[in-house]
Parts: sequence; C-alpha cells; structure tokens
Amino acid sequence: MDLHELTAAYALDALDADEADAYQEHLGQCEECREELAELSDTAASLAFATVAPVPPARLRAAILDRAVAERSNVVPLRRRRWVTRGFAVATAAAAAVAVALALTVGRSNHQQPVVSMGFTRGANGNATLMVSGLDTAPKGKTYEAWVIPKGKAPRPAGLFEGGKPTTIHLHGVPQKDAVVAVTVEPAGGSPAPTTTPIASSATR
Amino acid sequence: MNRQLAHLSDEALVLLAARSEESALAELYDRYGRAAYGLALRVLRDPELAEDAVQEAFLTLWRTAARFVPERSKASTWILTLVHRRAVDAVRREQRRRTDSLERAAEPSVEGVDEDAWLRLQRERVQEALRKLPDAQREALELAYYGGLSQSELAERLGQPLGTIKSRMFGGLSRLRELLGEPRTEVSWTSTS
Repeated sequence: MDLHELTAAYALDALDADEADAYQEHLGQCEECREELAELSDTAASLAFATVAPVPPARLRAAILDRAVAERSNVVPLRRRRWVTRGFAVATAAAAAVAVALALTVGRSNHQQPVVSMGFTRGANGNATLMVSGLDTAPKGKTYEAWVIPKGKAPRPAGLFEGGKPTTIHLHGVPQKDAVVAVTVEPAGGSPAPTTTPIASSATR
Repeated sequence: MNRQLAHLSDEALVLLAARSEESALAELYDRYGRAAYGLALRVLRDPELAEDAVQEAFLTLWRTAARFVPERSKASTWILTLVHRRAVDAVRREQRRRTDSLERAAEPSVEGVDEDAWLRLQRERVQEALRKLPDAQREALELAYYGGLSQSELAERLGQPLGTIKSRMFGGLSRLRELLGEPRTEVSWTSTS
C-alpha cells in the first residue's frame, strides 16, 4: 500500500480505521503529505458548505457552552501577579513536606505579566491533560516543570516544557480528588522536586 | 447575541479558546455552528445524532485548542473536519450506510429552509464547482463525504478497482480545489496577549 496515495481519502474520512492509523503514522514522517493534506482538507471542508444548513436548535449552543464551562470548573485561571497569595494557600493545604518544598521561593519579577491560564481535563484511569498558555518562553538555562501533588504526598515531576506557546502536557496517575497540579520554573533539565514557588496551580476535584 | 469578538480571526479565537475563554468558543459556534449542523445532518439524517456530533466536535475543540497549529491549517477546516469525523464515525457505528447512504449523498431540498445569505452564496459556489466535475469524480466525493462510505466500500458499491476509486477521489478533490480557486491561504495571526 503506497501511503502517499491515501491523502485524498484521509481528507474525506474515507479510510477504514487501520488504514487511517497507518496513514497518520506516515504523516509524522512525510512533510510532502502534510502539505498536501492541509490543502485537500481545506477543499474537503468546503464540501460542508455545499449542503443546505437548517438553523440548529438553540439548545445545541446552550448545551455546548454549558458543558464547556462545566469542564473548565477544574481550572483556576490565574494572573501571575496574584499567584503569591494563592500559592501559599495551596502550599499550606498540602502536606508539610510539600509546603517545605514549595516554600523555597526564589525572587520573582513584579512587572506586569500576561494572563497565565491552565486548562485541566481528566480522562480515564487517572490520565489527564494539562494545557498551559500565556507563559513566556522560559529564561535561558531554565525550564518549566509540571507537577502532580497528591494530597499528603511529595510532588511528582510530570513533564518539562519551554513555554512561549500554548502547551499540552499529558499527566498520568492523577488522583481523583484533592491533588494539586502545579507549574514551576526549574533549572534546565528539570528538578526531582520543585525548587521555586509555582507560577500556577490547580486543585483537582 | 454578544458578538464582541466578531473582529477577531478564527485562529485568534481558537487561541482564546485554548485559554478557556468561553466567549471565544461561543463566537466560533456562531460562525460555524450552522454549517456544522447542516453537515452533520446531511451525513447522519437524524437531528438528534447530528446535534450529538456537533456538540462532541465543539467540545473536542474546547479541550484540544492548545494543540491547534494555525500555520498548518485553517481553524474553519479544523472545526468542520472534527464535525465530519464525528458524523462519519457515528454513521459507521450505526451501520446505517447499508440502507440509505446513496439517498444521503443525494442533494437535499432547500425548500422550507430559511437560509442565511452568506451560507447560500457559499453553497451555490461549491455546488457550481461540483457540477463541473466529471460525473465519476463527483460521485466518488459525494458518496465518501456525505455518504460516509470508506474507499473499500466505494469500490465494492461501484464495482470498480480500489485504485480507480483512489484516483477519482484525488482527481476530484484536486480539480475541485482549482475550481474553487483557493490558493493556500496565509492565515493571519493575531496575538492576544
């Protein structure tokens, strides 16, 4: 099977599941196919407009927005400047060991920062997705590090990222309740335990 | 309806949605919800299933907006692709295609639909381009896109070798692209921070 030939069918969602999987894997290695797919997908999407579109029921809009807001309730969007107070509140709520770790505060800049937001979506089996946006690129020699902090336990490293663009981090083993997901600035390469105060955090519930 | 974000590009709205701005999601729905519902309804032929497909697609957008790469695709393409995939998955799950996919691929009547002027222009433009395609190519595109048939099912249904179906789909989409006169558009990118 020549995978290049499947671009049009993929753009039309006309592949069987196993063919689509194989093609997706191929896409990761083939820039030519990615470019062709982008073009053919635009054209395929234009077919959506060739059909008569009745007005959808108003309840559809309401249902989408209600569910979106409900999912966001896991999220605590923060201004970085406001973090300090919230940060200590979270730290005190966690176990003593955690509080000690988090209290190793380094100096922080006080100038106006953009809004930092963290989106937290829980999947099955303790898997979750953390989406972070609004963070500037980490300073030279530094990295952002995400943490999962189960109640009464030490923070577990959950991934490094550079910032500067919206980032998605996949988390594993996130407790259902009373855990904290946090992001700190760490030396390049990351740390086994947080060495700075979180710049953002979110309680899971 | 609050349209305070009406001046933003689709791509800027996705960026805002990635920051959990629900007003950005609402604006994207106001721009594409109707086209999305029309598409889902055509594929699924069932208002309830169509609503489910549109809802799931917009919630997928909401959950994964941070992964959207504006340099790589238009936001409208992404949204309609999400809707189409949901609808096709549902139609295959229901296995309705075995009974009525040909009917589904047929163009529905416009009678009794209060059509938005912009949507009507778009529809006429794409329909006109579709009419200019060779019959075999148009048939392959319509059965695949609106009928939800896979390429293997198409080959079987039309009694043609798979290779023929592939080249009809590729040729049809490429020709349609030329007819619609869509150069690869540079997406404008608005920083919101």
